[in-house]
Amino acid sequence: MLTRRAALGVGGGFLANVGSSNLVRASAAELIEIHMKSDPGGGVVGFDPVGVLLQPGQTVRWICDDNVHTATAYSPENDNHSLRIPTNAQPWASDFLLPKQTFEVTFTVEGIYDYFCAPHEEAGMVGRLIVGSAVGPGALPFDYYLTRGHQWKPVPPAAQRSFPTIEAILAQKTVRSTLNFSKMPVK
Amino acid sequence: MFRKALMTLGIVMLVAGPTVAAESVEKSPPPAPYKKVSELVKLPDFLPGMGTLYVDPTTLPDGPFLAYDRAGKLVSTIYMIPLKDVDGHKTIDDLKAPGGNVDHVSLYYNAGHPGVEVPHYHIVLWHVTKAQEKLVEK
Repeated sequence: MLTRRAALGVGGGFLANVGSSNLVRASAAELIEIHMKSDPGGGVVGFDPVGVLLQPGQTVRWICDDNVHTATAYSPENDNHSLRIPTNAQPWASDFLLPKQTFEVTFTVEGIYDYFCAPHEEAGMVGRLIVGSAVGPGALPFDYYLTRGHQWKPVPPAAQRSFPTIEAILAQKTVRSTLNFSKMPVK
Repeated sequence: MFRKALMTLGIVMLVAGPTVAAESVEKSPPPAPYKKVSELVKLPDFLPGMGTLYVDPTTLPDGPFLAYDRAGKLVSTIYMIPLKDVDGHKTIDDLKAPGGNVDHVSLYYNAGHPGVEVPHYHIVLWHVTKAQEKLVEK
């Protein structure tokens, strides 16, 4: 798996492989873009699309459109979150991304990858990727680790409700967000 | 005569006290222990809709956060109250209000941001008029 962070229009950044010892460069045609969105007041936040089916070797580029976000894998290595990526994949964690900044990961290990936005996880800003086949810890119930002796952080209730189903991702390949990112209503 | 002068001074001090306190924060940067929020967590210096924020880190997450326009004038005092504290019926008492006169109050829901990474409400004490909110619009 490769990761890279950059600013749009600036170029540069870094690239690393975190799923396999072999670097895999994805062509531009294979690039998947996921936007990190927010309404102007910061009350409605989310990834769009929220679920994507991709093939091993494809790259995902997260683009911060508004507000401040991260793309962070569910893994004990990321602040003791529960493991919801393949056991043999390396977790990733972008830094905080400001508008127009991007972060890329190239996926080489098959399975389900659940991820979250660090400042907005409690509000339900999460996403799900399926690389090749829907296998791994991400296919298990959110509390699967409790019977295995782990004391990881649970996935917050709002986040649990926000994941697209595995079936929807497999059927649609791309699951768009249904959130309204226009201005919040005023009383 | 002395007693009368003392009483007059006392009245002046009572009236002047809050004004003096407000003057000390009405221009950025406010004095210690306030620190610029963008130097504490990863946020832009200027946040559209709020301005440039300063906070005493020991008061997080509630605040007060002092918000300044691009010219360095205090426009609002903001408290950030986590929804879980409201849902838990927590008493939040004695929040400082160093910014002086309040023109109007706004409440905004926020899903979270660096520094206050849980859903919360921004309670905004505006020290400027509704029309002057545009000073921090963008």
